[in-house]
Amino acid sequence: MIETKEKLFGIIDLNARFELTRYKPVRALLKSRWMPLLPILINLFIFVIILLAAFSGGLSAGNYNFGIMIVWILWWVLLMLMLVPGFSRAWCMVCPFPIFADWAQRTRLFDVKPGKLGGLGLKWPKKLSNMWVMNIAFLVTTFFSGFMTVMPIATFILLGIIILAAFVVGLVFEKRTFCLYLCPVSGFQGLYSQFATIEVRRKDWEICKNHNPKTCYVGNEKGYGCPWMRTPFDFQKNTYCGMCLECLKTCPYDNMAINLRPPGVDLLVNTKREPRGLDEAWKAFIMLGIAIVFYLAFQGPWGFFKDMVRGATLPGYLGYITFHTTFNLLIIPGIFFVFAYLSKRLSGNKDVPLKTVFTNFAYTLVPMGLGVWMGFSVGILLPNGSYILHVLSDPFAWGWNLLGTASVPWTPVLTGIMGYVQGAILLVFFLFAVGYGWLLAKQTYADTVQARRGFLPILAFLTLITLVFLWLFLG
Amino acid sequence: MKMKNEYLAIAIVILATVVTVAGILGFENYRRQSEYTVELIARATEHGNWYPSTIKLAYGKPAKILIRNIDVVSHGFALPDFEIAVPEIKAGEAVVVEFTPNKRGTFPFLCTIWCSNRHMEMRGRLIVE
Repeated sequence: MIETKEKLFGIIDLNARFELTRYKPVRALLKSRWMPLLPILINLFIFVIILLAAFSGGLSAGNYNFGIMIVWILWWVLLMLMLVPGFSRAWCMVCPFPIFADWAQRTRLFDVKPGKLGGLGLKWPKKLSNMWVMNIAFLVTTFFSGFMTVMPIATFILLGIIILAAFVVGLVFEKRTFCLYLCPVSGFQGLYSQFATIEVRRKDWEICKNHNPKTCYVGNEKGYGCPWMRTPFDFQKNTYCGMCLECLKTCPYDNMAINLRPPGVDLLVNTKREPRGLDEAWKAFIMLGIAIVFYLAFQGPWGFFKDMVRGATLPGYLGYITFHTTFNLLIIPGIFFVFAYLSKRLSGNKDVPLKTVFTNFAYTLVPMGLGVWMGFSVGILLPNGSYILHVLSDPFAWGWNLLGTASVPWTPVLTGIMGYVQGAILLVFFLFAVGYGWLLAKQTYADTVQARRGFLPILAFLTLITLVFLWLFLG
Repeated sequence: MKMKNEYLAIAIVILATVVTVAGILGFENYRRQSEYTVELIARATEHGNWYPSTIKLAYGKPAKILIRNIDVVSHGFALPDFEIAVPEIKAGEAVVVEFTPNKRGTFPFLCTIWCSNRHMEMRGRLIVE
C-alpha cells in the first residue's frame, strides 16, 4: 500500500483501510480451494444456458432472449454499477471463460499439482505486455454492438470466440496471459478497478521481505503462484490483479489481506514497477468515447445513427466504423491533448514533459468515465430491466414459464426520473474526478501555485465532459 | 480426501455443461411431443415464411399449436374459419393456441400484422382430416 499524506477533498484519509480478512470465517472461506472455484462453476452453468439460448435464438430479436438480456442488460449493468466500482475485478475472479485453459495447464481443477504447468508456457512479448491489444480488441468488439445487442447468434459468436481464444492462448502462453493482455473486457475492468473500494494487498512488508521463496509468486502445496503473474508481496495497483485468491492460500503467514478502502487511491500510484502509461490513458479515452457513441446510438433519438450502427446499409456501417475509430483513437485524445498542453503552459513549469502532464491527467478520466458508464447503465436497466423477469421464466423463448413470470409485459421503471438519477451519478463522479485531478496536479507540478494554474484547463475539460453528458442524459 | 474434491469438481463441470445441454434439449423435445400437437415458426416471407407452411390436425381432437416468432419483427396469427386470432406475437415470443377443429377441409392461416413488404404472402394452410 502506498503511503500518502494527501486527503481527498481535504477530508478523506487515503491511507484508511478496513481489513475484511481479519475475520476468521472470511479468511477461512477465501483460503478454501472451493473459492472461487464454486462460483466459477455456477457461472459456467449460467453461461452454458446463455450460450444455448443465444445459439437457439439465432437471428431473432433479442428482447426475449436469455443470452442477450443476461449478458447485455444484467451482466453489463452489474459490472458497471456494482462489480467494478465496488469490488474491483470481482468478475475476473468468477469468470468461467479461462477455466478450461487453467484445467489444461494444471491438469487439476481443484487440487494443487506442484511442478511445472502444462501447455507450451510461452512468454507474451514484453512490448505487448500492456493494454494496447485490449484497447484495440475492445474497440473492434464495439464495431458489432449493433448486432450483438439485438441478435442472439451474434452474442453467441462473440462469447464463443472469447472462450475459444482463452483456451487456445492458455495452451500456448503461460498462465493467464489471455486475461492479462487480450480479453476485450479485461482492460476496462483493470483501468476502472483502480477506483474500486476493495483491494488485495500484502499486510506487513517486513514479513514478505524475509520470506523466501516468495510462495505467493512461485506457489506451494496450498495454491498456485500468482496466475496473473503479479508479485503479490509488493504490487500497489488493482489494475492487473485478477482477485483469484491464490496468494491468500499460498501465504503461510496470512500476510495477504482483502481491504476496504477509499475509492480511487490507485490513481495516485506511479511507481517504477507500476507506472502510469499511455496504454491506460488511451483506454480511458476509448471508454469515454465509446460511452458517447453508445449513448447516441442506443439511447438517443437519432434514427439515422442507429441505422448506421446496426448496418442497415454497408456505406452507413463503414461510415460508423470510421467515425467510431477516429473519434475514440484520435479526436477525444486530441481534444484532451489541447487541454493538457494548456495545463503545461498555464502552470509555467518548463521542466515537466508534456507527455507526463498528458498521461497523469488522463487518469482523471477513470472516475469521470466510470460515472458516465454508470449513468449509461442506469439508462439500460430502468427501461429494459423488466425483460429479465420474462427471460428467467422462458430462457429459450420456447414457451416455458419456470417462475410464472413469462407473461410479465415490458414495463419501463422510473424512466420519468431516469435522467436525474443519471445526472446525479455523473455529478458525484465529476467531484471525484476533480478531487483526484487536483491531487494529480500536485503530483505533476513542482508546487501548489503551478498545480493550481495547471489544473484549471483540466477542470475545464472535466466540466465540459460533464455538461455534454448532462445534456445527453437530461435532454 | 483431496482427490474426492477433485472428482467432485469434475462432476460439477460435467453437470454444468454436458448434462445441462443434454437435459434441456431432451426435456424440450419430450415437452413438445407431449404437450403440443404441432409447432409453427413465424417468420416474415423474406425470412422463410410460416414453417411448416402446411399443418395437419385431426378432426374433433383438441389441438395445441405452439407458435414461435423467431423473427425480428412482430407477427400476428389468425385462423379465420375457426375465429381464432392472436393480435401480436412479439419478436422472440412464443404463444400457444388451443382449439378443437370441428370442421374438415383446408383452411388458410395468416399473419395479421404488417410485418414486411411481402406481408400479404405470409400465409399457410391448415388441413383438418
